[in-house]
Formats: sequence, C-alpha cells, structure tokens
Amino acid sequence: MTAAVETGLTATIHGDRVSLLRVLGPAHVWALGVGIVLVGEFTGWNFAADKGGALAALIVCWIVGLLYTSVAMIDSEVTSTVAAAGGQYAQAKHIVGPLMAFNVALFLVFAYTMLEVSDAILLGDTIVAKAGVEGLTHNSFIAATIVVLAWLNYRGVLMTLNVNFVITAIAYVSIVILFFSVSPWTQGAVLKLNELVTPGNALPYGWIGVIAAFQFGIWYYLGIEGTTQAAEEVRSPARSLPYGTMAGMITLLIAAAMTWYVCASLMPWEYLGITYYPLWDAGKLTGSPLLENLLFIATLLAALASANGCINDAARAWFSLGRDRYLPSWFSAVHPKYRTPYRSILFLLPIALAFAFIADLNQAITFSILSGVLQYTFMSINIMMFRKKWPLGSIRRGYTHPFHPLPAIVLFCLCMVTFFAIFLGFGSQLIAMTVFYFLISLWFHFYRYKFVRRGDQFSMPWPKPQGY
Amino acid sequence: MSRYIPPEQSKAGQIFDIAVVVVAIFVALWLPLKLGLAGAAKSIDPLDAKTWDALGQNATMASIWEKLGYTPETAHDIIQNRFHYIIDWPTLIIMAIVLVAYFVFLFRASDREYREVINEKFDDK
Amino acid sequence: MWMAINYACWGISVLLALWMLYDWFKIDTTYSEDVLTSSREGELEAVSEKHRI
Repeated sequence: MTAAVETGLTATIHGDRVSLLRVLGPAHVWALGVGIVLVGEFTGWNFAADKGGALAALIVCWIVGLLYTSVAMIDSEVTSTVAAAGGQYAQAKHIVGPLMAFNVALFLVFAYTMLEVSDAILLGDTIVAKAGVEGLTHNSFIAATIVVLAWLNYRGVLMTLNVNFVITAIAYVSIVILFFSVSPWTQGAVLKLNELVTPGNALPYGWIGVIAAFQFGIWYYLGIEGTTQAAEEVRSPARSLPYGTMAGMITLLIAAAMTWYVCASLMPWEYLGITYYPLWDAGKLTGSPLLENLLFIATLLAALASANGCINDAARAWFSLGRDRYLPSWFSAVHPKYRTPYRSILFLLPIALAFAFIADLNQAITFSILSGVLQYTFMSINIMMFRKKWPLGSIRRGYTHPFHPLPAIVLFCLCMVTFFAIFLGFGSQLIAMTVFYFLISLWFHFYRYKFVRRGDQFSMPWPKPQGY
Repeated sequence: MSRYIPPEQSKAGQIFDIAVVVVAIFVALWLPLKLGLAGAAKSIDPLDAKTWDALGQNATMASIWEKLGYTPETAHDIIQNRFHYIIDWPTLIIMAIVLVAYFVFLFRASDREYREVINEKFDDK
Repeated sequence: MWMAINYACWGISVLLALWMLYDWFKIDTTYSEDVLTSSREGELEAVSEKHRI
C-alpha cells in the first residue's frame, strides 16, 4: 500500500479530521443563489435590449426564465441526491465520468471567477461614476471588493452567507420600492411604455435580434445553479437545496419582470442597451433623489453579494478538484479553525484581481456566459443519464422533478439557441474557449488522471448503475 | 479486478501542474482579448441631419435623452451604432464541428474512465 | 473625500491580504498536511443522511 493510503488510515484512527461545517439553512441557500444572480438586474440584462430592442429583452426574459426553471428543477433533483461540495462537479463524477467532472469544475470556476471580476469592475465603475472626481480610478475599489470578500470567505461560511442574505435582501427590496413608487398601475404619469416601445422600434432587428438577445438574456439568471456548491455545508441538503433554489428562481422571475417593466418604461431602448446602470438610471429618471441614492447603494450591494457568492462557489469547486487529486491535493486543505477551503480561496484571489485589472466588463461577462452555457448543455444530458442509470425507486432522491424528460429537452434546445446567439456576437471567442477546454481535457485524460484513485471517486452509497 | 494504485506525485510535479493550469487559464482568457477576437460587429450608420426626428426619436424619447444630458449630436453615435447580423457560414460550421467534437470526446473518454471507476468500486469488495 | 476613500480601500486591501498570508503561514506550519487535507467527499453524507428506500 502506498504512503498516501496509509496516512489516510492513520488520520482516521486518530480521529483527526477536518471537514467543512454543516451550518447552513434554506435561507442561506436562497442568499447564495439570488445573491449571485441579482446583480444581473442592475447591469447586464439590458445589453439584451442593445442586441434586439426592448421587446426582445422581455421575450428572452421569459424564454430564458424557462431555461433556468429547467436548470433549477434538474439541479434540485440531482443535487438533493448527490450532496457534495463542488455541486455539478460531483454530479458529473458520479453520473458521466471523471473527464466530464474535470471539465464541469473548470466551467464552474471560470463562470464564477469571471462573474466575480465583472461584479468588482461594476462596483468600481459605479463608485467612480457617482464620485465624478477627476483622477479617481476604479482600481482601489476593485481591490478592496475582492480582498475584503475573500477575507470574509476565509473566515467562515456562516458569516459569509449571513452577510449575503442581508445585502441581497436590501438590494431586492430596493427594486420592489422602485417598482411601487413609479405607480406601475398607471401609464403616462411617470412610466411611458407605449411612447418608448412603439411598433416601429420594439424589434429593431426583427427576430434575429431576439435570438441574438439570448446571450445577455442569460444574465437575468446566471449563477442560480450555484446553490448546489453549498451542498456539503447545508444542514439538510435533501430539503434545503431544492427549497432554496426554487424559492430563489421565483424571486428572480419576479425581479426580472419588474426590472424590465420599469426600465423599458423610462428609457429609450438605444440608451437602455448601452448603460451600465439601468436601475440606477431609472432611479435618476424618476426625479427623486431618494430613489436615485437608494438604487445607487443597491447596485453596490448587489455587486458585493454576487462577488461574495462567486468566491464561495469557485473556491468549493476548486477545492473538490484537489480533494479527488484532479489537481494537486494541496488545494483540498480545510482551515482547522474556520473550516473553509482556505488555500483555494487564496489561490483564486490573485487570478480574479489580475483579470479585474486587465479585462473590461463586457468581456468578463461574455467569458462567464460561455462557461455557463457549456455547463447547462452538460446538465441536460446529465439528467437523462442519471434517470437511466438509477431509475426512480432505485435510490432515495430528496426531490424528483416533474415532466421528465421535457425539462431536459427544453434546456438542451435553448442551449443550442444560445450557442447560436453567442455565435452572432462572439463566435471566435466561443471557438477559442472550446479549443482551450479540448486541450486541457487531453492533458487531463492522458496525463493528469494517472494520479487519481479510481474507485474512491465514487463516494455515494448507491447501488451499481444500470448497464455497467 | 486489481485496485489501481496511483503514483505519488512529487512536490515539484505538483507545483509544475499548478503552473500549467494557471498558464492555460491566462492564455485562454487573455489571448482572445489581446488578439481582439472578443467583441461583436457593431458599426455606426452615420446620418447627415442630426435632429431627434431624423434619429427616429419621438417627443417623449427626446425629452428623456435631454434629461440624461444628451443632445442630438452626442446621441447620434449611440443611436446609429447598430449591429449588422450576418451569418458567416464557414465560422458557424467550424464552431458547430468544434463543439460537437469536444462533447463527443468528453463523453466517450469519460465513459471509458467511468467504467474503470465502477469496476473498482463494485467488484473490489 | 473620495480620494480619502480611495486610499482607505488600498489600505484595507493590503492589511487584509497580509493578515490572510500570515494566517495561512501560521496554519500551514502548525498543522500537518495530513490533517489539513483529511476532508473526504461523502463522509458526512453517510452519517447524516440515511440512504434507505
């Protein structure tokens, strides 16, 4: 027996084990999911209007909402059964295979790190825009955002997500306040939807614009699937994860509809499509300084909450890669006092900082979306394989999603449309990214995988899958 | 089936592997930025008459633009900056091939590795 | 005022980064590598969730 196996045994004998803490409840799961995503209402979704007009932004809000409802349902079923840190990574490892798992973990780390970068840039730019002081750059605010949040994550998951819950709730409430203070029930007083969105300009590019808008429509909800990363730290994953994820999805659908209605009724689509602060601008356009300041603060809080959740999720995915030796096991260390994957948090910190200083907001968002869509494509195939290898009744599922295989098919088709949409704007980018994943997969399959213990990867107490 | 015992990796090997991954991440994310691959085809269709009317803005829209601090001259470059959606078939086909090839390789190689995992886990008891 | 906040942000970033580096160093030298990397996937799962149908 090798030294590694022996030391593993010794550690068990002495009972000297450190693992992540199971301390979270459904509210934390909600805060993690919605916290990551809500920033999308404050910036990002509106680029869909740029791509296809105001009406296109609304159409994709609904259709992409359907895509994410499928994602949430599928994810809830699989993850309430495979409850391990790493979320979709652990799912892929148990259902598809190691190489897929390695790729999924990279999708996760990329999607979340780039989202964190976007959040930090947004926060920095918002403050600089508000200050209007000559010579003030966004760098210090970016650095402070990333380092302070990394520190918070380093010190423990419970505090991290408590903070996330509070700031996400404030940001969410501010959208609701904005919505009700512009008298949404009467058009013409503050809101002028029928004068701003006319039959002539609703779809300026026709239907191709609607398809192109899918790319940024993703931004209404991107990251809700991150709730699964908390699986190992939730007290009762089988109950809390489906509950928190579904509640999060409903919250977001409501927020997205309100955001579109208010913004499209206050700004011409050409402006809506290029602004970085649609909700803050909406607050300004109401003419109330109170609303303007509220939405300014909410934009900052939403960006903070999102970056915070992203650090949490990216670190969990990286940590799991180390734990299975897909990457050096050095990363799988857990802080003995704070019980967090501290080395992964520290490792990803300078990477996020570097990209926040060199990339711009649009590009960081696109990187994130690309990795997200690759992951959703995997999820649609994954659930089919899950139901086939372990049919209903063969293992205990925390939650069983209805209408199978319809959600999987819907998800797959919408992913294809989104790939086409990305092609319309960022085709060469998508090819470059896929080539990267392809090359790193070869590296993993032919070289790195030799350091991985085979049977140990399958850690769930399940029967043998059917067909093997 | 016999249990697979992976080789122990040296410290230097671990550090080298981390370096490989970091470099790969930077190349994948940073190179497209440098080469200017990122970014969609958007260009300005210039208009001679720079009035709100010519820019297709009605009275309500014009009042909002003005509230935001724009004049027809400054708003011109925003409003007339349009996408030109052209389906470039060769790129689309290359993209489709790359994506399909990638996923096919992923699932096939994963399946091969997965069978080993299942064999060791369930037959090795 | 904004410039002061700007410098404060740099200050906080540097301080917290240094603290994390210090704590990292302290932990890595106090505990053995085997203890630090002893977390296993599915371990808690087997205890807290009884997997019966």
